[in-house]
Amino acid sequence: MDYPTIVSITENVIDIDTLLAQVTLPSTGAAAMFTGLVRESTIRGEPHLTQYLEYEAYQPMAELKMRQIAAEMRQKWPDVEGIAIIQRIGRLYPKTPTVLIVCTAAHRDTGVFEAARYGIDRLKDIVPVWKKEIGPEGEFWIEGHTIPKPGE
Amino acid sequence: MNNVRIYLFATLRDYAGVRTLELEIPTGMTIAELKVQLVNSFPKLAPVKESMMAAINREYAADAEIVPQEAEIAFFPPVSGG
Repeated sequence: MDYPTIVSITENVIDIDTLLAQVTLPSTGAAAMFTGLVRESTIRGEPHLTQYLEYEAYQPMAELKMRQIAAEMRQKWPDVEGIAIIQRIGRLYPKTPTVLIVCTAAHRDTGVFEAARYGIDRLKDIVPVWKKEIGPEGEFWIEGHTIPKPGE
Repeated sequence: MNNVRIYLFATLRDYAGVRTLELEIPTGMTIAELKVQLVNSFPKLAPVKESMMAAINREYAADAEIVPQEAEIAFFPPVSGG
């Protein structure tokens, strides 16, 4: 049977309950979910405050890369059933979920935790999304550190 | 000649002041050569040229790759989603 794979770049609120339901099958007994949020107060590294983040995406390529990541997750953890990978864009304020990875499986010892972790790490490396940080000191673009290989 | 559509994102769009452009480029031009042409047209892009990433038809592309006919090209800084 075909397992559900949902990928989306969206300006809408990430509806975690609905997405979880969409990747839950009759055989599902476990779900690992990761969500990233806008952090108002950063302690690590250079401590600073954030008023909001402004996200943008190269949407068609981003959704293509999210599908690719889902395929990689299935290849590495074949017991994973449903996968949802959602990136919200636009202006997002502290405490707002910005990204969601959901992996479902029959049981928790099937690699669902690892697959969700892989999904968010990979998204941050290869999905063309950028964010600008706006705080009391002004605004600046945040740049990643990974240079994907051609065709990656 | 080759007509390509170019998309710029994030810092690159801010520095260039344009989001998309259509260019007629010589057939056989590489991504590296196109970057040079872009920086010549938009000198404010010079400081970010080295970290500028490229995609051809929505896949990451190396500097040595030749731009295909009628391609969709994107240039952008290292990604920072999540």
